[in-house]
Amino acid sequence: MATLKELKAKITSVKNTQKTTRAMKLVSTAKLKRAEEALLMSREYARKIDEVIKEISAKLASIKDSISLRAFAEINEVKKVDLIVVTADKGLCGGFNIQTIKATLAKIDELKAKNIKIRLRVIGKKAIEYFRFVGIEMYEEIEGLSSAPNYEKAAEVIEKSYEDFVNEEIDNIILIYNGYVNKLTQRVHVKELLPVEVESESKEEFLEVEPTDDYEMILESLVKKYLEYTMYYTLLDSLAGEHSARMQAMDAATNNAQEMVKQLTLEYNKVRQENVTRELIEIVTAIEAMKKK
Amino acid sequence: MKISIVTPLGKIFEGEIKEATFPGSEGEFGVLDGHAPLVTTLNPGVITLKKVDGGEEVIAVNWGYVEVTPDHINVLVDGAVPVAGSSESEIAEAIERAKQLIKDATDSDALVAAVEAKIESAARSI
Repeated sequence: MATLKELKAKITSVKNTQKTTRAMKLVSTAKLKRAEEALLMSREYARKIDEVIKEISAKLASIKDSISLRAFAEINEVKKVDLIVVTADKGLCGGFNIQTIKATLAKIDELKAKNIKIRLRVIGKKAIEYFRFVGIEMYEEIEGLSSAPNYEKAAEVIEKSYEDFVNEEIDNIILIYNGYVNKLTQRVHVKELLPVEVESESKEEFLEVEPTDDYEMILESLVKKYLEYTMYYTLLDSLAGEHSARMQAMDAATNNAQEMVKQLTLEYNKVRQENVTRELIEIVTAIEAMKKK
Repeated sequence: MKISIVTPLGKIFEGEIKEATFPGSEGEFGVLDGHAPLVTTLNPGVITLKKVDGGEEVIAVNWGYVEVTPDHINVLVDGAVPVAGSSESEIAEAIERAKQLIKDATDSDALVAAVEAKIESAARSI
């Protein structure tokens, strides 16, 4: 049985851990609030850009055949794809990162079974460390972006993929990330970004396009914006998810620490009582022994 | 007619207006109720909105799209700065940010000067 001193040290150490986890939980709660706000703000843009692309493409459906943009074309044979994986830069957030990694591994297996080549582009230190450890080759490694989403950098990442797509080097872009649902849940998303979905039924409506009749230019820049934005939104979503996952993990850790302190205190009291009883018995026996003389 | 102006970072303006003027890539154009459907890109410049209550709203934008339908307008922009504020110092700061936005978006000094003049005059009328 442990001595009183040992138990006391243990209790103090667990209490300290509890303090740390509680502080981390509070920090995550505050950060989550900010990430959530950013997410809500930018959701409006997502809704609008979707709407605009759908509307324009519906109006242009009658001339669809004359549009030679690859982003709208049907690709019959997929040979090579870009797999963009987003995880957090930091750990201590429960199963948040590993869920994404597992989903990625499943996707890689699925693509390999179909004989599709993969270019793995990884954002987030945790996934980079994992893939390095298991020896899966990465095409690009980006650190520091998932903890501080930035529109320009996000745009840069996706633009490279889009250029290769236009040059027919790759045939699709697949995005894998763990997104925010609510404070208690995150969900892994696997999104195929291309070709861009369009309304197939055409609206026979008059639409003027400026610069005159340059549909392709407008559509292409819209598609680019759409991709850039999707990438940016993914980072925001992932960050909010990360904070909510960390909040949960730290909350659980704090509760566990609390439980442990309770158990240890119980044990401490038991040992203390035992000691007192033993000492009393010793004293009483000593007195009794002396009386007999 | 309804208008909504959004950037990736959030909504800038949404509401009912009487008239809007945009810095289109093919030249400045105004939109009134019942305008023919139109899609165009924007140049760096200012969007002027005449609100139903007669007030005016001026928003500097760097680049974007406008989709006009007879009853609503969707504006998607990369960056936008509303030239507005409740105090003089706030307005002055908004003007500075608006100018910076335009400067970053274009190389053309003539365009910058033209837009700056517009921002200044709009600010005077607030």
